Amino acid sequence: MSSTEALKPFAGTGREITSGAVSPIELAYPLTDGQLALNNLESARRHSWSTFWLDPLRPNIAEYIVEQEQLTLQFAGDPGALDRLDSLVERLGRVDHDSPRTLLIQAQVSSTAHRFAEARRCLDQISGCAELSASVKRLSMNIDQACGTQLDAVLESRQRIAAQSGRLEDLVPLGALYADLREFDRAHQIYRRALNEYQGTSPLAVAWVCFQLGVLWGELVPESQLALAAAWYQKAVQCLPAYVKARVHLAETCIRRELMAEAKALLMPAVASCDLEVSWRLADVLAAMGRVAEADKQMLVARSGFEALLTKHLLAFADHGAEFYSGSGNDPQRASELARINVANRPTLRAFEQAWETAVAVGETDQAAEILAAAKARWGDTHAFVFSRLADNYRQAINAGGLKTP
Amino acid sequence: MSDHVDGPRQIGDPPADLTDLFAFTSPENPAHTVVAANAFPSAGVTAMFSNAVDYSIVIRRVTVAGRGEGSKFQPEGPEYRFSCRFDALERGADGKSPIQRGTFTCPGGQTAPLVVNDEKGASTPDGVYRVFAGLRSDPFFLAWAPAVLKKLPNLLQHDNVLAIVVEFDTTRVLQPDKGSLFGVAAETKPLAGTNSPIGMEPPRLDWVGRPEQTNMRLNNPAMDGADDLRDLWNQQTPFAIAPDLEPLFRERLVESLTNWDMRDGRADWTPSAIRSAASVYLNDFLLFDVSKPIDDTTFLEIEKSTLHDKPYQTGGGRTIDANVIDIMITWMVNNDREFLQGGATQATKLGLKTFPYEATPNEQLQTVMSTIDLAGAPGEVWNVIGKFGGEWHPLVASVQLIGEGIGQLRRIELKDGKQIVERLDSINNAARSYTYTSISGVGVSAYTGVLAIQPKSSGCSVEWKVQYLADGQPDFVVHTIISTLQKTGFEALTKRFGAAT
Repeated sequence: MSSTEALKPFAGTGREITSGAVSPIELAYPLTDGQLALNNLESARRHSWSTFWLDPLRPNIAEYIVEQEQLTLQFAGDPGALDRLDSLVERLGRVDHDSPRTLLIQAQVSSTAHRFAEARRCLDQISGCAELSASVKRLSMNIDQACGTQLDAVLESRQRIAAQSGRLEDLVPLGALYADLREFDRAHQIYRRALNEYQGTSPLAVAWVCFQLGVLWGELVPESQLALAAAWYQKAVQCLPAYVKARVHLAETCIRRELMAEAKALLMPAVASCDLEVSWRLADVLAAMGRVAEADKQMLVARSGFEALLTKHLLAFADHGAEFYSGSGNDPQRASELARINVANRPTLRAFEQAWETAVAVGETDQAAEILAAAKARWGDTHAFVFSRLADNYRQAINAGGLKTP
Repeated sequence: MSDHVDGPRQIGDPPADLTDLFAFTSPENPAHTVVAANAFPSAGVTAMFSNAVDYSIVIRRVTVAGRGEGSKFQPEGPEYRFSCRFDALERGADGKSPIQRGTFTCPGGQTAPLVVNDEKGASTPDGVYRVFAGLRSDPFFLAWAPAVLKKLPNLLQHDNVLAIVVEFDTTRVLQPDKGSLFGVAAETKPLAGTNSPIGMEPPRLDWVGRPEQTNMRLNNPAMDGADDLRDLWNQQTPFAIAPDLEPLFRERLVESLTNWDMRDGRADWTPSAIRSAASVYLNDFLLFDVSKPIDDTTFLEIEKSTLHDKPYQTGGGRTIDANVIDIMITWMVNNDREFLQGGATQATKLGLKTFPYEATPNEQLQTVMSTIDLAGAPGEVWNVIGKFGGEWHPLVASVQLIGEGIGQLRRIELKDGKQIVERLDSINNAARSYTYTSISGVGVSAYTGVLAIQPKSSGCSVEWKVQYLADGQPDFVVHTIISTLQKTGFEALTKRFGAAT
């Protein structure tokens, strides 16, 4: 597929996608229109909040809100979801202080904002609560996966759950785990299975899988396959035109292929979402088009927005902030600082890679060596490390005598 | 809840999730029958139907094929299928809310175009059928914690659903001279697509016959560790449960009904009666007889009489206001020995006597609430903010009181020149709280406020809550005005009394 072909809207029914060497995906049944689905999500979210304020202790209402805000954050790119979730916890803390249910919800909210240590503390307090044990176990597993800890046990659980249910919502986390473990073909197979076997009508579900496939081929594999990634991102956007993250990632593939007009066309409709990556990437596009004043304006929005977000939700945006500042945000020192915060919070292999790269970029040699050694100590025995660029650098550093074997 | 959120397939696309089904004689015209299906639990005020789903209500003639311990209801003959399909959203005129159109198809293939939320509904050209589709107040109410059978307030209070209401001429459509007993079920299925397998029925997303088949009987919340069969059940074909799965569902129903029977510690059902009831529940369609009276009390009467080996006396069915949950729980728990009344006696709103019979939607109350913890003692802070005419707020230029005591008005002049008039509704100096209503100046209706102080550690906690209906104004404008008022006020209080440490 040529780069321009990858950007064409899907013709006809739009039910198939030709993705390079990969056979087309053919969903058996149409999906609910993406705009309609997001309208319904927003409608239900507002209703849930209205109900919550009338009766914060109504069964399941806080749990619904957590789910709906997570979906809003994921698909509508609305970072205000994190503020609203904090206000939910604050209110529950006042009316139902320290109850197991409040602690579980607090753990879910903390985990959503990547405050994993805080989430684990809450879960520890309710570990003996039989009624919530399944939820506690599930969230603990999610946190372990997000932090790259106990991944063998997580894999075993994910495989078992996926085999039992076969549901898309259980297959996608399994695929994501394989991707984290750098077992890319397996990840791809699991995602494809999730799509092939999906018989529902939710565009959110399908867009989510397509987005994951885009990330897999565009960002995780050692050699990016941009056209393939673009095709998957585009499928995600087609299912859900307001899927901000998919638009941003698709625009990034356009930028990398110097398709600036296409990138701009993707980003402009997403400006109203308040997702800062939209402003950031739009600034890049406008700068490349020579529209310097407009680019500066967008970059200012992105920079001030990132700082505001980092002030409120440092751990949630530390990795994104590091990416921004090591790119056109152009503050490598800040990038390195944020990447270190991120790796301390969630020592995944990707986080180590980012921390090492940002340290190297600012010439923090000792810091980089420490990160490399820590990465080797934590991930060195894994299959994933073999595929990491840190592995080569580690070997080189050892050979050069700049690093002691842990 | 009745059939609300009863499986993973619906959770991803809530408008496909059926909640309830009704069948009753038209209150407007006794020669007409009304069937209605609701979907989308806890729908918001802008909720719309899926454009990828076929919503159908299916009626079949039924005969009593067995009584007493061999009770059986046998569906016969062709089905009467009423279907609605909907389009994607259309942009509303002049920037107004989007609209959704759809098509109603009745038995025989006649169609009628409809617009969602059009109160008048749509009719077929021959006037035999009338249909409404749109947002209504949820007529279902559940005021129990089902796992422990503890009374609660209505768990669906203020909720809305998307309703499809079909009214038709009973004689012309159902031909009751050929048999007047019918079963009805509603189902949602994905539309067939260009890649759909040829000759294969689309998988069912959800279906509903009698209330609570899934969430209370098949997935009895008091039966820990039992596999969740709801999704499997939802994929069954109404009126035709797969024979190979029937034993599985039957066994679960027997276990579940036995569990329900023992909830009060007393066995009111014999094992054989439970097995017979399980067989009846396996025929999961709502029974109604168009030749007999249907009212709020006749729900399940056909099943009960048949199980008791007696001819039924009423038309069964299910009206909008029927207290189905308490009727059903009473029957399951004590076999009608003593009526079990939950914590509510009706839904948020009663049904209407005119088309479309389900009550108008509940408005969505907006809430803006702020809380602050201060170092000042509760009494000290109350002395400042507890006076209805107090001028402590930095955005307030002056306050003029009109009248005295409860009912007095305060005319607030803001520093930007705006004027707001509010009425004192209640004040409790001992509990340190007052409530008020906005009379004018904010541009929204049902605006009420509460200012309250609670002791906290060595200081206090101040809570300021405002609720209102947005009345078509962009919500964020009013929200911003109120939250700014609260934030500025609290900043001033923090400056004055110090923040709690």
